[in-house]
Amino acid sequence: MRRSVLGLMGLAVILAIAMPAAVRSSERAERSPQELFAARCAYCHEAGGWGTRVLARRMPEGEAQLRQRTSLPPALTTLVVRRGIGAMPPFTPTELSDEELQALAQWLAEEARPRR
Amino acid sequence: MPVLPPGLTQESFDKALDEFRAAIGAQWVFTSEADRASYLDPFDIGDQHDHASAAALAPADVEDCRKILAIANRYKVPLWPVSMGKNFAYGTAAPEMRGSVILDLKRMNRILEIDEQMGTAIVEPGVSFFDFKAELDRRGSRLWMSGPAHSWGSVIGNALEHGVGYTPYGQHAEQICGMEVLLADGTLVRTGLGALEGTREWQAYRWPFGPALDGMFTQSNFAIVTKMGLWLMPEPEGMAGVSIRVPRKDDFRALVDTLRPLRMTDTINAPYTIANGWRQITGGRVRSQVWDGPGAIPQARMEELLAERGDGWWSVIFNLFDSPAGLDLRLDKIRRAFDQGLPGATIDVRRWQQGEPQEPWMRQEVSLAPLGAVDWGGSPGGHSDLGPIVAPLGGRAEQVYEIIERRFLEYGKDPWVGIFGISSRALVFVADMYFTRTDAEETARCRALFRQLCADMQAIGVGLYRTHLRFMDDAAAMHAWGDHALPRLNDRIKAALDPNGILAPGKQGIGSWNSREGTDR
Repeated sequence: MRRSVLGLMGLAVILAIAMPAAVRSSERAERSPQELFAARCAYCHEAGGWGTRVLARRMPEGEAQLRQRTSLPPALTTLVVRRGIGAMPPFTPTELSDEELQALAQWLAEEARPRR
Repeated sequence: MPVLPPGLTQESFDKALDEFRAAIGAQWVFTSEADRASYLDPFDIGDQHDHASAAALAPADVEDCRKILAIANRYKVPLWPVSMGKNFAYGTAAPEMRGSVILDLKRMNRILEIDEQMGTAIVEPGVSFFDFKAELDRRGSRLWMSGPAHSWGSVIGNALEHGVGYTPYGQHAEQICGMEVLLADGTLVRTGLGALEGTREWQAYRWPFGPALDGMFTQSNFAIVTKMGLWLMPEPEGMAGVSIRVPRKDDFRALVDTLRPLRMTDTINAPYTIANGWRQITGGRVRSQVWDGPGAIPQARMEELLAERGDGWWSVIFNLFDSPAGLDLRLDKIRRAFDQGLPGATIDVRRWQQGEPQEPWMRQEVSLAPLGAVDWGGSPGGHSDLGPIVAPLGGRAEQVYEIIERRFLEYGKDPWVGIFGISSRALVFVADMYFTRTDAEETARCRALFRQLCADMQAIGVGLYRTHLRFMDDAAAMHAWGDHALPRLNDRIKAALDPNGILAPGKQGIGSWNSREGTDR
């Protein structure tokens, strides 16, 4: 019993050491749009991020933060992500697959709501 | 519009692509216009399509890379390996030679080892600074990462490109200890003590029996680096953040001469950054908020802006790493040196010790702050950086600074200069030319300025530490001693290791003898 517990611990250590820093690309389809946003976008596009600060220079008040947009068409998001815009560099298909990008763009469009 | 590798017909390239698909899986061969666009350099100092790729390939591992090399050799397809592809201001993921195929190594993203006892790590190319910091945190490691100004890039890629951080381990290429490299013919080599079966010392010692080859694979195109060993700094007992304001522009010579012995004796035990006036006044703003006139922001306006901020013409920032008592000794020595060498300077100090929460000045958190400055000159913005390597002697540094400032003003650009005391005996100047990417006249002017400064620097025997893709040949050609003996040696090594010239032709000007037809230099 003791040996098998140690064996499992050993396996856990090996797995921890061999674990990829980021999720392997081939497994990315399992990530939800929320997780993708957190992993790829939030650092710049949440409050206080550089993307938000740069966008505040040219967007109407309250629209600089992506998730507070009143409208964000999916086609705009997919175009901007693959080509970059302004100070934002593009994202390659190894960072976000086409399927992930579509799901993310759709989710962001649904998050955007006209203000009353 | 389709882009082809130089010398290949559409038919032969299509055949090569089919073989790449069969080798690594069709989903990892990217040929669509949108996918290829994502590998363009968004901050190019000219038409980004001059450096467009023909396709991108994303191998999962070394075996995939081997298969790709075999096919590329057969069809003479040039490959441009990138790790994270975030080499901003130097080309991002784009190839030097138009029509190269990107070898995107992001899927090779394992952290293979973090050795707490030895203070070492082994990583693959697709590990970003974000990933690496997260893993250190997840493990509760007592080892610290030395990160560059932006954390999106690859740990390996940054070290290979001679990137710089802000800790005692801040000269990242010097932390490399052992590599695994894949040669163009598919041979896998472990450098240094990694060549011994069952070694425990691969990351322990950089000077093995025989030549130390790690440096040869940095800023080069002699192999694909598939793994890298690195040294990591143990968490210090304490830190001091020092900022120094130096009032007058003509204090520069004295400033450099005051800092040199402090850095050489390791009293200042991490890289320092000197910023001139133009660099200091950015502060999250854009240029039009402070000056709307033509040409560079005039000296008088600069002095107003600096006075508003309470800044001097020069600022110096650096961090010290030591026990609290050790920090006291270092700070005392620094204060005495400035009292003697530059009494007009003002020194401010912040302190931290183990157990206290970390603060932004410590620069231990991941960051993308430089992206905030890209639009300084107008949106969509970009910048290209001239990086002369200069001895930290007051007269020499002043000579280089004056040339840079004079030329920037002559070309109507703000002389936005940072000077990094990266090692005990070298400064790297980073003179940024910011431009609006859509302004063809301005980008052409910046290219002319860059080339003018290459000529100026060569005339006084000063070389560059790194350049954008566009200036690789210009920078290489500056090394003219002995009838360009060094660049010619690089080309001879290249020809021996990669006779078909398939690995990153043109990188650092090496292998430029390969077909250039149809490419815009």
